[in-house]
Amino acid sequence: MTSASADSTEESGPESIMIKLLEKLSPTECPKLLHRFVDGLCGRSYPRRVEYSEVWSLIEWGELMNSLTQLFRVAVGRMSSDQQVQELLGDLDSAHADAILQCLHARQEEIRQALVDRTNGMSSTQLQDFNWQIKLALSSDKLSSLNTPLLNLSLDLKENGIQRAVNMEMNKEELHTLISALEAANKVVLQLK
Amino acid sequence: MEEVDRILIHSLRQAGTDIDEDVQSVKQFTSELIVEAVVRCLRVIDPGLGSGVSTTLPPGMSARFRLGMSLAQACQDLGYKGEIGYQTFLYSNEPEIRSLLMFLVEKLPRESAEASDQPAGKSALLQKAIAAQIKAQLALPWLPPSCRLPLHCKTQSPGPCHSFRAQPLSLPYSLKAPSKKQAKEVKEYWRVHLLPVTSQPSQHASVPASLLENHVSELSAAQEWENEWNSQGLLSRLTPEDYRSRKRARLQKRIEEQLRTAAQPRPDTHGATRSTSDLTELLNSFGGTATGGDILTKGTRFTHSEKFTFTQEPEKAAQQMAAAASALPSSHQSEEDLKAKQEAELSDLQQQLQQLSVQMEEVGGDIRQLTVSIHQVSDELKQRELSNSEKQDTVKVKKQTIDLLPDAENNLVKLQSLVEGSAKRVVHLASQWEKHRAPLIDEHRRLKELCSNREMESSMKLSEIKDLHDKIRHSAEEAKKKESLYKQLITEYETLPKDVSRSAYTMRILEIVSNIKKQKEEITKILSDTKELQKEINGLTGKLDRTFAVTDELVFKDAKKDESVRKSYKYLAALHENCTQLIQTIEDTGTIMREIRDLEEQIETENGKKTVSNLEKILEDYKAIRQENSALAAKIRDG
Repeated sequence: MTSASADSTEESGPESIMIKLLEKLSPTECPKLLHRFVDGLCGRSYPRRVEYSEVWSLIEWGELMNSLTQLFRVAVGRMSSDQQVQELLGDLDSAHADAILQCLHARQEEIRQALVDRTNGMSSTQLQDFNWQIKLALSSDKLSSLNTPLLNLSLDLKENGIQRAVNMEMNKEELHTLISALEAANKVVLQLK
Repeated sequence: MEEVDRILIHSLRQAGTDIDEDVQSVKQFTSELIVEAVVRCLRVIDPGLGSGVSTTLPPGMSARFRLGMSLAQACQDLGYKGEIGYQTFLYSNEPEIRSLLMFLVEKLPRESAEASDQPAGKSALLQKAIAAQIKAQLALPWLPPSCRLPLHCKTQSPGPCHSFRAQPLSLPYSLKAPSKKQAKEVKEYWRVHLLPVTSQPSQHASVPASLLENHVSELSAAQEWENEWNSQGLLSRLTPEDYRSRKRARLQKRIEEQLRTAAQPRPDTHGATRSTSDLTELLNSFGGTATGGDILTKGTRFTHSEKFTFTQEPEKAAQQMAAAASALPSSHQSEEDLKAKQEAELSDLQQQLQQLSVQMEEVGGDIRQLTVSIHQVSDELKQRELSNSEKQDTVKVKKQTIDLLPDAENNLVKLQSLVEGSAKRVVHLASQWEKHRAPLIDEHRRLKELCSNREMESSMKLSEIKDLHDKIRHSAEEAKKKESLYKQLITEYETLPKDVSRSAYTMRILEIVSNIKKQKEEITKILSDTKELQKEINGLTGKLDRTFAVTDELVFKDAKKDESVRKSYKYLAALHENCTQLIQTIEDTGTIMREIRDLEEQIETENGKKTVSNLEKILEDYKAIRQENSALAAKIRDG
């Protein structure tokens, strides 16, 4: 088990050094950055580097972001106690450590949800979003009165980390087939419960 | 009559008759128009009746006659009571036509009034809405994009160009998070750091999408929970929290089982060993009560929490990649050397691997055999131990009896007394037990009954609750339906043409009614006047008769004595007779006057019937028929 030994050395090593970069920011500014960062972790936008370009260099910024990601994921994913988090933080000064703990407490549930979502999406292709438009074809070049409803379904897929959009148009029968297939799948899921 | 005619003409136009604008009353109706109106009405009232006849008068006289006959028959079939025949249509007179048309118009179905009670079909509404929208859009002129007002943008731009992308939002009030007391830090976060929801998503365009998505997910979660709670949760008689925790435990167990079965070691494939080792690690961490520190040293990157929030850390993959990379030779030798070396190494390694796997299999087989034999041996051992302890017991008993043997008599007596004592004690205890038992059993029964009662009650209440739930849902649905109907009716009412004719009609009707009332009053007044006059006349006649009789008697008495009085008696008689004649004459004049008036009225009605023109027409038609007949006869002769 080579990986195990590698893990344990890394655990308390570089991570806490990177976290120490946080001390460059004043403790009053710190909570804002942390909360914006957690926003990013939960699927919204991360804080912008431009706003902090005077505090950190690009490399430092990247390392800080990485280590913060690590920290929050580990702390929330393992339901660590305050003490354990303190250990992870190493010798970070107390004001900043407090800020991190505060933020962690406030956002624990939200981060947990985000992590659960991440775990849910472990298959190679996942559905990110879907949208539909219903269209009524009133007539065609052959028929003056067609009156056929058509569904335009667009799926936003994430295939191996790459966004891909799938669009399809279905008439009533095809839609019924799709819905019955989905319902059958849902039944299987319900049986698992 | 004008009012009636206008209504009649309006109704006939609605039924589909083409009536000219300058036709104002029934008097102006020609035979063609009458036939068309009647046929159209018949078609609307009963399509089976009216479809056989044409709306226009044919040129041939006999065909006209036949058409009139069939129309008259159709009207009688509908239930028209008045006089009707072919002459009604061909040689019309105003009152007859008016009564016939009134009858037909009354028979017209009032479908519009009935149809509006029902909500119109959804598809019809949709079609109407689409038609209205398209009409409105067609009415707008096309404008170049730079000149468009917001009004035009909606209809003339090619539609929204951004796609529907949702992002998770952070809201203080959420169903996902339990609504219990929130920690101080959370409140602080809400107060100071939480952005307004409109600026939370990274793109402004995805605000509505995100909000909708958030709402929908919470709504569906709440609905699902409610459904489940109503169908299964209530029956389990647990509090919601208990039910949830029980379900969670069940699910946890299930997933564990699944993973365990999937992680059964399968030595046949090489690739599987890696994954199974991962899985066993996972299982260890999963079922284990290991502390956090343990997990850290173990290095498994799977953590578990109450709700399986095990997340795979990305660095795990990174480490594996790094391990793979370090395995690669990093020397910069020539490629061929490298390749040869690699191949040699590869084959070597493969050989080693095969050997190792063969060894592994062998050792595995040995282990399996050994475990089986260990099982067998341990079973044997257990059996031996059992038999051993049994034997020890028997040895003890036998030893005691051997000890007692020397002083057998005394010991026997002692034993007997002991046995008796214990028997008595047993009886005593049994009676005591009985004493205690009876009330306890009673208590037990009572409690059981109570329990079953409670259960019944609770099940009754459960069913009641279910009923109530159903009712609530039903009434909500009904309310929704009613509301939509109400809305629809309101819109329909607003779109209806604000016709003044209706109010005018009602005003007119009210006026007519009041007129009729006035007339009735007058009639009663005149009647009472007449009665009074009659009475007066009767009274006067009676008085006259009596006065005449008395005078007659007195004068007659005196006339026997006096000659001059006799003369006056004669005058009296003559006067009386003349007066009677006069009265008679006046009465006769009255009756004659009345007769004259009747006759005048009759003349007027006869004049209204256009007799002369009709007669002329009849004569012409008669001539036409004779001509037709002669022509037909000539044809026969020729043929």
